[in-house]
Amino acid sequence: MSNAATSKPVSAPLPDIHDAADRAAVDASCRLPVLSFFASAVFWLIVGTVFALLASIKMHNPQFAVEIPASLAHWLNQFYPLVPANTVETLNGALTFGRVRPAHLNTVAYGWASTAALGVGIWLMARLCRVQLRYPRFVTAAAVIWNIGVFVGTAAILLGESTGVEWLEFPAYATFILFIAYALISIWAVDMFVHRRPGHVYVSQWYIMAALFWFPWLYATANILIHHESVQGSVSAIVNWWYGHNALGLWFTPMGLAAAYYFIPKVIGRPVHSYYLSAFGFWSLALFYSWNGGHHLIGGPLPAWVITASIVASVMMVIPVVVTAINHHMTMKGNFHVLEYSPTLRFVVFGAMSYTLASLQGTTMAIRSLNTVTHFTDYTIGHSHLGLYAFFTMIMFGSMYYIVPRLVGCEWRSAVLIKIHFWSCAYGIIFMVLILTVGGLVQGLMMRDAAIGFDKIVENMVVYKYFRSVSGVLLTVGHVVFAFHFSLMLLRLGRTEGGPTLFRPLETT
Amino acid sequence: MALFYGLLIASMVLLGGSAVYALFWAAGEGQFTNMEEGSKIIFDKDEPEGEITDAFPGIDAKKEIARKQARRLSTAGAPKS
Repeated sequence: MSNAATSKPVSAPLPDIHDAADRAAVDASCRLPVLSFFASAVFWLIVGTVFALLASIKMHNPQFAVEIPASLAHWLNQFYPLVPANTVETLNGALTFGRVRPAHLNTVAYGWASTAALGVGIWLMARLCRVQLRYPRFVTAAAVIWNIGVFVGTAAILLGESTGVEWLEFPAYATFILFIAYALISIWAVDMFVHRRPGHVYVSQWYIMAALFWFPWLYATANILIHHESVQGSVSAIVNWWYGHNALGLWFTPMGLAAAYYFIPKVIGRPVHSYYLSAFGFWSLALFYSWNGGHHLIGGPLPAWVITASIVASVMMVIPVVVTAINHHMTMKGNFHVLEYSPTLRFVVFGAMSYTLASLQGTTMAIRSLNTVTHFTDYTIGHSHLGLYAFFTMIMFGSMYYIVPRLVGCEWRSAVLIKIHFWSCAYGIIFMVLILTVGGLVQGLMMRDAAIGFDKIVENMVVYKYFRSVSGVLLTVGHVVFAFHFSLMLLRLGRTEGGPTLFRPLETT
Repeated sequence: MALFYGLLIASMVLLGGSAVYALFWAAGEGQFTNMEEGSKIIFDKDEPEGEITDAFPGIDAKKEIARKQARRLSTAGAPKS
C-alpha cells in the first residue's frame, strides 16, 4: 500500500491538486440540487416525527390533540368570507389516529427517506461518474415538484382523502406529481450514466441505477392497478404488498446499500473486502427481492402457491444479505477503531449491521410457524422500524454528515451535537425495537390463546405503548438536534478552519 | 381491458428483459474482469488507500490514531524494561 501522505511534500503535488480540484468541482456542481433535497428531507423528517409522536401517544391516550383542528376551524370561522363555510367539517378529525398514522408513514417514507435517498443518490452518481452534475436546475426543479407532491398528498390524507391502501395512501393526483418528479430524476440519471467518465462502474452505481429504474415503474404500476376496476378485494391486497415490500426492497434497500458500499471503504480508506461478493449480492438481490411481498399475507385469502413462492424467496434473501454482511464486516475488520473518530462511519456501520439483523429477522418472520405468532402484532412494527430506521435512516444520516460539509464549504459546528444525535437515535431505536418485539411476542402469544379476551390483550399492551412513546421522544431529540445542526450548515455557520474531512489536499497547496 | 393486460405484461417482460440485458452488457463491457482493480476506483491520488477521509470536526483522525497507538506501545513496553 503506498503511503502518499508522507511522500506528498517531496513529490510534485500537481497530479494531487488535479484530483482534489476535480472532486471539488464535482461537489460544487451538486450544491443546489443536493442541498434542496437534503433540506426538504430534514423538513419532512421533523414533520414525520411530529406525526409519529402524535400517533404513538394516541395508542395510549386516544383523545390526545383530537380537538385541535376543530377549535382551529372555529377560530378561523370569524374570517368567514375569507375561509369556506365548511371549514369545521373539513378540518374536523384531521388529527385522529386513522389519519395521523398514514400521515406519519407517508411523510417519513416519501418526505424524509425517499428525499434523502435521492439527494445521496444524486451526489454519489456525480462523484462515481466523475463528471460535474449535468442540468442542476432540472434536478432542482424535480426536488420542488417532489415536495409539492408530498405536501399535497399529506394534506389529502389529513383531510380524509386517503386511498386506504397502506404505502399508497396518497390519492392519485398526488402520486402523479411524485411520479413526474421521480421520472425526471431517472431520466437525469441515465443521462449522467451515458456521460460518465470511462472506466469501471462501481457497485454503488449499479444499486442506484437499478433503484432509479425499478421504482418509477413499480410506483406507477401499483398506483394504476389499485385504482383499476379489476383490482379489488384480495387482489388489491396482493398488489398492495407487492408494492409495499418492493418499495423497501427495490428502492430503499439498494439506495442504502449503495451508500454503505461507498462510504465504508471510502472513509476507512480500504477497498471492499471482496468485490466479487458485492456484485454477487447485487444480482441475487435483484433476482429474489421482488418476490417477497406475498409474505405479508400469510394466512390471507390468496392462492397458497403465491404465498409459498414468497416465503421461498424470503428465505433465499439470506444469500444477498449474508453476502453483504460478510463483505461489510471483512472490510471493517481491523478498522473498527475508526468508528471512534468518524461520524459518517458510526452511522453507516450502525445501519449496515441493522440491515443484516432486519433482513434475517424478516426471513424468519416469513416462515409460517413463526408468522402465526407475529402477524398483526407490534413485532412487525418493530421489524419495520429496524429496517427503515435503524438501517436506512441511520445510513442516510451518516451519508449527510459526509456530503453536506463538501457542499457548503464549511465543517460541522460541533462534535458534541453529532454525538448527541447519534446516541439518542441509536439508543432510541434499539429501545423502540426491543419494546415492540417483546410487546409483539406477548401480544401474539396471548392472541393465540382463545381463553383470553381481546380487551385483556389491549389493556395488557398499554404499558408497552407508553414505553414506545418514550423511545420516540429519544428519537425526536436526535432529530431536532440534527435539524438545528443542519440549519447552521445551510447558513454557513459551520467551522471554517480546515478540518480533516474538508479540502485538505487543496489547503496543502 | 385486453389492452390494459397487454401493457401490464409487456412492461413486466421489458423490465425483466432489461435486467438480463444489463447483465450481458456488463459482462460484454468487461465490468466483471479485473474486479479487484475496479473496487479501487473510489480512491484518488490525493485520497489514496489508507487515507481516512472523515472525522469529527476539529479532530485529525490519523494523528489521533497514531497518538493512541504510540501510547499503547509505550505503556505495553514499560513493564518489560
